[in-house]
Amino acid sequence: MRRLISACLCTGRKYELYSMDWDLKEELRDCLVAAAPYGGPIALLRNPWRKEKAASVRPVLEIYSASGLPLASLLWKSGPVVSLGWSAEEELLCVQEDGGVLVYGLHGDFRRHFSMGNEVLQNRVLDARIFHTEFGSGVAILTGAHRFTLSANVSDLKLRRMPEVPGLQGAPSCWTALCQDRVAHILLAVGPDLYLLDQSACSAVTPSGLAPGVSSFLQMAVSFTYRHLALFTDTGYIWMGTASLKEKLCEFNCNIRAPPKQMVWCSRPRSKERAVVVAWERRLMVVGDAPESIQFVLDEDSYLVPELDGVRIFSRSTHEFLHEVPVASEEIFKIASMAPGALLLEAQKEYEKESQKADEYLREIQELGQLTQAVQQCIEAAGHEHRPDMQKSLLRAASFGKCFLDRFPPDSFVRMCQDLRVLNAIRDYHIGIPLTYSQYKQLTIQVLLDRLVLRRLYPLAIQICEYLRLPEVQGVSRILAHWACYKVQQKDVSDEDVARAINQKLGDTPGVSYSDIAARAYGCGRTELAIKLLEYEPRSGEQVPLLLKMKRSKLALSKAIESGDTDLVFTVLLHLKNELNRGDFFMTLRNQPMALSLYRQFCKHQELETLKDLYNQDDNHQELGSFHIRASYAAEERIEGRVAALQTAADAFYKAKNEFAAKATEDQMRLLRLQRRLEDELGGRFLDLSLHDTVTTLILGGHNKRAEQLARDFRIPDKRLWWLKLTALADLEDWEELEKFSKSKKSPIGYLPFVEICMKQHNKYEAKKYASRVGPEQKVKALLLVGDVAQAADVAIEHRNEAELSLVLSHCTGATDGATADKIQRARAQAQKK
Amino acid sequence: MAFPHRLDAPELPDFSMLKRLARDQLIYLLEQLPGKKDLFIEADLMSPLDRIANVSILKQHEVDKLYKVENKPAVSSSEQLCFLVRPRIKNMRYVASLVNADKLAGRTRKYKVIFSPQKFHACEMVLEEEGVYGDVSCDEWAFSLLPLDVDLLSMELPEFFRDYFLEGDQRWINTVAQALHLLSTLYGPFPNCYGIGRCAKMSYELWRTLEEEEDGETKGRRPEIGHIFLLDRDVDFVTALCSQVVYEGLVDDTFRIKCGSVDFGPEVTSSDRSLKVLLNAEDKVFNEIRNEHFSNVFGFLSQKARNLQAQYDRRRGMDIKQMKNFVSQELKGLKQEHRLLSVHIGACESIMKKKTKQDFQELIKTEHALLEGFNIRESTSYIEEHIDRQVSPIESLRLMCLLSITENGLIPKDYRSLKTQYLQSYGPEHLLTFSNLRRAGLLTEQAPGDTLTAVESKVSKLVTDKAAGKITDAFSSLAKRSNFRAISKKLNLIPRVDGEYDLKVPRDMAYVFSGAYVPLSCRVIEQVLERRSWQGLDEVLRLLNCSVTKEDKASSESLRLILVVFLGGCTFSEISALRFLGREKGYRFIFLTTAVTNSARLMEAMSEVKA
Repeated sequence: MRRLISACLCTGRKYELYSMDWDLKEELRDCLVAAAPYGGPIALLRNPWRKEKAASVRPVLEIYSASGLPLASLLWKSGPVVSLGWSAEEELLCVQEDGGVLVYGLHGDFRRHFSMGNEVLQNRVLDARIFHTEFGSGVAILTGAHRFTLSANVSDLKLRRMPEVPGLQGAPSCWTALCQDRVAHILLAVGPDLYLLDQSACSAVTPSGLAPGVSSFLQMAVSFTYRHLALFTDTGYIWMGTASLKEKLCEFNCNIRAPPKQMVWCSRPRSKERAVVVAWERRLMVVGDAPESIQFVLDEDSYLVPELDGVRIFSRSTHEFLHEVPVASEEIFKIASMAPGALLLEAQKEYEKESQKADEYLREIQELGQLTQAVQQCIEAAGHEHRPDMQKSLLRAASFGKCFLDRFPPDSFVRMCQDLRVLNAIRDYHIGIPLTYSQYKQLTIQVLLDRLVLRRLYPLAIQICEYLRLPEVQGVSRILAHWACYKVQQKDVSDEDVARAINQKLGDTPGVSYSDIAARAYGCGRTELAIKLLEYEPRSGEQVPLLLKMKRSKLALSKAIESGDTDLVFTVLLHLKNELNRGDFFMTLRNQPMALSLYRQFCKHQELETLKDLYNQDDNHQELGSFHIRASYAAEERIEGRVAALQTAADAFYKAKNEFAAKATEDQMRLLRLQRRLEDELGGRFLDLSLHDTVTTLILGGHNKRAEQLARDFRIPDKRLWWLKLTALADLEDWEELEKFSKSKKSPIGYLPFVEICMKQHNKYEAKKYASRVGPEQKVKALLLVGDVAQAADVAIEHRNEAELSLVLSHCTGATDGATADKIQRARAQAQKK
Repeated sequence: MAFPHRLDAPELPDFSMLKRLARDQLIYLLEQLPGKKDLFIEADLMSPLDRIANVSILKQHEVDKLYKVENKPAVSSSEQLCFLVRPRIKNMRYVASLVNADKLAGRTRKYKVIFSPQKFHACEMVLEEEGVYGDVSCDEWAFSLLPLDVDLLSMELPEFFRDYFLEGDQRWINTVAQALHLLSTLYGPFPNCYGIGRCAKMSYELWRTLEEEEDGETKGRRPEIGHIFLLDRDVDFVTALCSQVVYEGLVDDTFRIKCGSVDFGPEVTSSDRSLKVLLNAEDKVFNEIRNEHFSNVFGFLSQKARNLQAQYDRRRGMDIKQMKNFVSQELKGLKQEHRLLSVHIGACESIMKKKTKQDFQELIKTEHALLEGFNIRESTSYIEEHIDRQVSPIESLRLMCLLSITENGLIPKDYRSLKTQYLQSYGPEHLLTFSNLRRAGLLTEQAPGDTLTAVESKVSKLVTDKAAGKITDAFSSLAKRSNFRAISKKLNLIPRVDGEYDLKVPRDMAYVFSGAYVPLSCRVIEQVLERRSWQGLDEVLRLLNCSVTKEDKASSESLRLILVVFLGGCTFSEISALRFLGREKGYRFIFLTTAVTNSARLMEAMSEVKA
């Protein structure tokens, strides 16, 4: 390319990014071209549909890096393509004539496709644009019926059909998608009129301050941030203003009436300068506020890519970047600049030459008190330099200046060094991401890493993470996980090798989820590999869902149990229950006690029958017996049903060799029947009383005969019977019967209980009767109970029992027992003498 | 009386943060359902909720009416219903029936179920089976730690005991691990961990996993709590089965302390109304007597009453200014103290009436005989008489269990006859109770010969320690053995009596059982703290099965704050005993329990009652 005007412009400069040796077979002008912003890849599709060539030749879709390295090449087998474009995630969107959109990855891998709707299908696509919004990437389509359809975000596809433009007969002369206030609009030009289409209406708009005499708009361009708009009219006049068209920023008359091939904005964010680059076949013109334009002659077919802070221009042989010179660089490199940065740079150069001039320059800066500013300027300018040697000399100057400053915070310098190192690495020809410093900052390191991962440049990404000391979870681990996900797709490598390779690289890196990688492997149809990978997953909880998905339920069950998370176990159980037949399900449970008890708990509340089956399956007769006993209380109402349930229970207990329980159950059956009979014959309530209570009730009702019969039948031990009768008769206050009973034979429980029970009923008279019959060892207690302290003392003294003596003594109260107390004391003293 | 702590004893951490956390989370959950709503609360959650957020807080967040979850159809007219429940299937059925009734009536409302402390998959499953899963939104209120007192945290999960130790259901272990994790993020890290029991082991492991997953949060923080002990209840059933004689324990046994407060009936308040009293360190009178042996309490209270009277009397001979001062400053405090004093004196009287009777003395005597292991025949016939006289089903059962555990199972003859007697007295449904007790290892039959132990000890001599542990595990699953006698001897749980044990000036932790027995659980903790490890306790550990240890000695020498976690509940006697140990040795203990328990609660958890 030959320069028309020397490069010493004050507003724009152009430098070469790469010389391209991509060896194009076709001319650019014959191709559909799409280049992603932020130094992204370039896609070319030779367009056989535009010309009347033989359609039999299938075109080739080629994807190159920004440095011209081939990334992919594939034969296009689908329908005619109208437009190509890159999404924000660097996916290639190919809009076909029928409204279908095919999505490809950076490496030409087909991702998915979607359709822009029936209306588009019927009317065909006339033109299409891919644009970027806050939400993602959008597609706008002009159909053959001159209607617009758009979707503001292709990853969450919602089609919007825009309103009709009144009186629109042919295709608009030019149009573009705008994005304002988070809403996508279409701006189109028809003859001398401009229309703005939003969702609900079509409104005619007029740019403010537009020169008269325009009969048609030939080209329009929106700036990278959608803030500015440029219009090229058939009079060779360029209007530049805000995207709302309400404010004109400047205008320019280039006197070329031929429609330009491309027109793009070239300005950096927050800059006051406005400039638009207009390209024709052989001419490139930069126009802006200034009365003069800058012109370049294009030797070859070129293509413009708008960027955040400039324009990339590539052709067959070169790839260049045109941008407005940043303020810092301008200050330093302007001829004969006296800016502090410029002086500092000079000073450093002189210092290297060991010239005393260094000191002079320095002193000059210092006298003005601008050294800090000078250093900052140099650092900033270094960021905007493309060539490492320039960066170095500026940084060296900054570093030199820093030495003469007391307190200059080092981080801006350090950070710039790091950033430049990263930038230089990715700008390398082999990587081919020519990001500028501003773009890099806008994009953020995270997104840059994602893009490196997308290009499968894992080692570089990891090196960058390590170099910038990013936290492992955000940095290295994430990249390794991506690498592993890529690795599992390598079908030619065996499962073992892949698993081993992945584990070797990843080890126990924190934040790496083996289950995610395994899920990817399963997604690629490599179940075995997925299972192998899951083995490395330390959290069993993470293994289970995937194992279930892969129908490895039994393995999932043991993993779930390992995790100790009962909910997880339960989830697996339900899966198993539906997946296996009942027998197999139970067998599985049998080997997993924890799962079994969990399931039992559930069944107890929700599926009683299943519980029974479970016990049956296990031959757990003991539990089966208990189950039927419980049923006899809870489930059965009728007495026959209850007895039957008990019978089943008894049988089960026999099988369980639990004779005690079996006998007890049989007794209960007998008792139930008996109680039923008693209720029928005697009235009152007997059912569900215990044996003891049944007998008591009988005695209380005066049915002594029956009571004794029952006691015999059920072999109630004597002791119990005596206690029982004693209590019952005392409750009845039937003292006569009680006395008779006490004399019926020698009491197996002694006579102290008789005394106690009489006293409980406050019958001292009766109590005394029995006190005399109490055996010697309990005599004292009995006498004390009836309140005969004196006699108790006598007995105790007679027994010479120290414990009894003190017991009596503790019962001696007040004056009445004074004599007794003395007596005891005396007896004690005597005993001690001996 | 209440002895002050040693000067070097550490301060307790501030647990009110836990309450704040729980409250904020609940409010957040309520706000998730904007607008007026009716709140249905499960009965078991009412008291804990009351300690966290009172009605006015609920009202502030647009709770309109409060209902209890019970087996009755609700008559709420609100458009939004919110259920605050434990994750139980029964509750899910209740919610489902409500929703389905609405559906039948053609009514649409918003339903939200808040599970506390966590959601179980089984619950959602029931909602799904009942066809209402889509109508109900589910949430979790991770409220698992309720500070009942300055040193006592309760999970208020009494069902833990039955669920884990009887049904083998491990669901709550996760909850325990979560609670431990929460504690360690707030107050952690804990350098030393000791655990005994299978559940302790599982909880510990799950907790570690949680910590590892969220690595780095507690790293580098200075530990406050030096040691944590995890104890399974089944390691020491004996202590829990004994009658309590320390004041707080007695109050619990007699009146049942529920969620840190007790309802004193008319017999205590000597009026016709019952009185709800919050029992914690803020009650100055209670705080001084809670850990005392009951025999001292009455004397103390009367002394206190005399002092109070003296303070009142001071106002005689005051001039007007002094009187003004007295009324404005002291009188309120005195009145408050007066009120508390009369409550506790009332409680004491009521307890005395019940407990100083002959039978209680004999009961205690029998218990002590069982603990010491003599006069077994006599004790057995005492128990038999107890059953024959139908004294109390729960008490009878408790004595049988105590006999079984201390004797390593009943001899077959007694086993049969006691059970027969019991069934005759209290009803045949207790056949199921016995089956439960047997499974839990509380009431068992002696195995013919001591073959198992013999084989076990032989094997353990042959193989390495680790393998021996596994084998012991295997054996213990064959037959749950208590080995109480051997452990008691090894740890010297029955203090040698020389002369009268002075309960006023306790010598050791045995005072909580009238000097007859040192609680096993507490003794183990004491020993470990003394030896700073398990060292020398190998034999005991073998007898107790399953233990975990993590020691980090370097950082913990000076840490005297100790967290004791009881899985399956702890008794007030154990708490008192450890508080005593703390005062003696300059430690401060913090207790974390799944619920405060006592013998009656344990027995009830095992009992099968007719519906």
